[in-house]
Amino acid sequence: MFDRYMVVEDSLENVEKDGKIVGFKFKVRIADYRGCFLSLHNGYYINMDGVEYPRELQKFEINGKPPRDFEEIKKACFEHWDFDDYGTVYVECPGGLSKGKHRLGIMQSILTQYGWMPHDEEWIKNPPVPGKGGGGKQEEIYYFDMEIK
Amino acid sequence: MAIKRGVSFYSYQQAQFFGEMDFHDMCREVRESLNCDGVEIINEATVPHYPFPTREFLADWHNTIARYDLTPVALDCFLDTLRFRDHVMTKREAAELIKLDLQLAADMGFKHIRTMTGLPVEVIERALDTAIKLDVKIAWEIHFPIPIKPDPTIQGLYCESPGTAVFDTLEFIKKTGTKHVGFIPDMGIFMKGPYLDMIEAALRKMKDRELAANIEAMMKEVPLAELGDAIEKKYPGRLSPQEKRAFTWKTAAQPEDLELILPYVFSIHGKVHDMIEVAPRVYDDPSTMNAEVIEVLKKNNWDGYICTEYEGQRSRQDLDREHLADEVEQVRRHHQMLKRLIGEE
Repeated sequence: MFDRYMVVEDSLENVEKDGKIVGFKFKVRIADYRGCFLSLHNGYYINMDGVEYPRELQKFEINGKPPRDFEEIKKACFEHWDFDDYGTVYVECPGGLSKGKHRLGIMQSILTQYGWMPHDEEWIKNPPVPGKGGGGKQEEIYYFDMEIK
Repeated sequence: MAIKRGVSFYSYQQAQFFGEMDFHDMCREVRESLNCDGVEIINEATVPHYPFPTREFLADWHNTIARYDLTPVALDCFLDTLRFRDHVMTKREAAELIKLDLQLAADMGFKHIRTMTGLPVEVIERALDTAIKLDVKIAWEIHFPIPIKPDPTIQGLYCESPGTAVFDTLEFIKKTGTKHVGFIPDMGIFMKGPYLDMIEAALRKMKDRELAANIEAMMKEVPLAELGDAIEKKYPGRLSPQEKRAFTWKTAAQPEDLELILPYVFSIHGKVHDMIEVAPRVYDDPSTMNAEVIEVLKKNNWDGYICTEYEGQRSRQDLDREHLADEVEQVRRHHQMLKRLIGEE
């Protein structure tokens, strides 16, 4: 759902910290018909220009709080990501991205479901790796052409 | 006693996503275009800061309902069992979530909540006191492929005992005499053909372009309900399992099965995928036994709301903005059909 519209056009930027470029960021929507308790947000499959950036290199900014890694996000079981709200995905990438065009392959992993499922215990122990099957309303990696201005 | 019309705001999810409509716009559409009053919402789509809305939101909500003279019918709730991430949600915890939703429903003026298909009786039992105290009913959704009549061959889908879930709850209702537990049947259980939007999506994405073209040609000759079998006969094994699903359909329940549970049917999801012009300016969704179901409801003097649940937008979201579904128009067509079948005009 909303695969084609999940990443916000023209939102790609480099991230600067203490005078150094430490990564890049872009804005996303929840690709579903409802928001979710934030703890269910399980990260992204991210492939930028052929390089994969696993969940461990990602942070997520929402609800006016500083970016949090997905181990922190996991604990937010009473906080909500509202359907109307834009979140920002931060990706650690020393030096950032060069000016110009880039191709982002992405898949959002959100562990919402309709009640108890046979995989529940397994997914508590070993949450699905984004993009490798399981979690979210997307069936395949979607590609976006983006630009650093 | 009458069948009344309403809309689940699920139907306008795409318009909400793109910022074209918020709940105020949806309420206005229900009153001013559809000329009806039933409103159903998705808790996690309409309520900011769910499950703890601000007083400002609640005041705005009640004011909007008053402004357009609407009736809150059902609050749709979820059961995300992985939410705590360090353990699977227990049935006790599930009941606590339902209590939060019951309170929210009471705060927003809803008569019942829609919970997950096959919600275990143990969970219902633990939340029942709160439902009675707040006078908000608990209704679980009978969603495809769950049958109404017991069918033990249906297994492993959506809940522990899908084939007998309805009757397990029915037994609990009869044993306790509770007036606060029931069902929301989704019209998707009464299928009489495949969903056109799913077929179109499968054809768009089909790698075997020759087969896709041949199927498109067949669609002009073969009725949709028979299309899957006809393809299999003419082109055996050519469809992938995923593609095959789009052409496959099954009737989970017969309209008359409703009579077994009708006193406990608090509202109905008027599931719709594609409103097609079957005669000049006359619309119907050929995938669903709409006329047959409404006939059963009329015969039994059922009193309640059918809330449109338009779902045909989702399978088209691989397209450009200009080719996306027009949710507002689809819901208007659905209400034109409902009025005709109910006998409002």
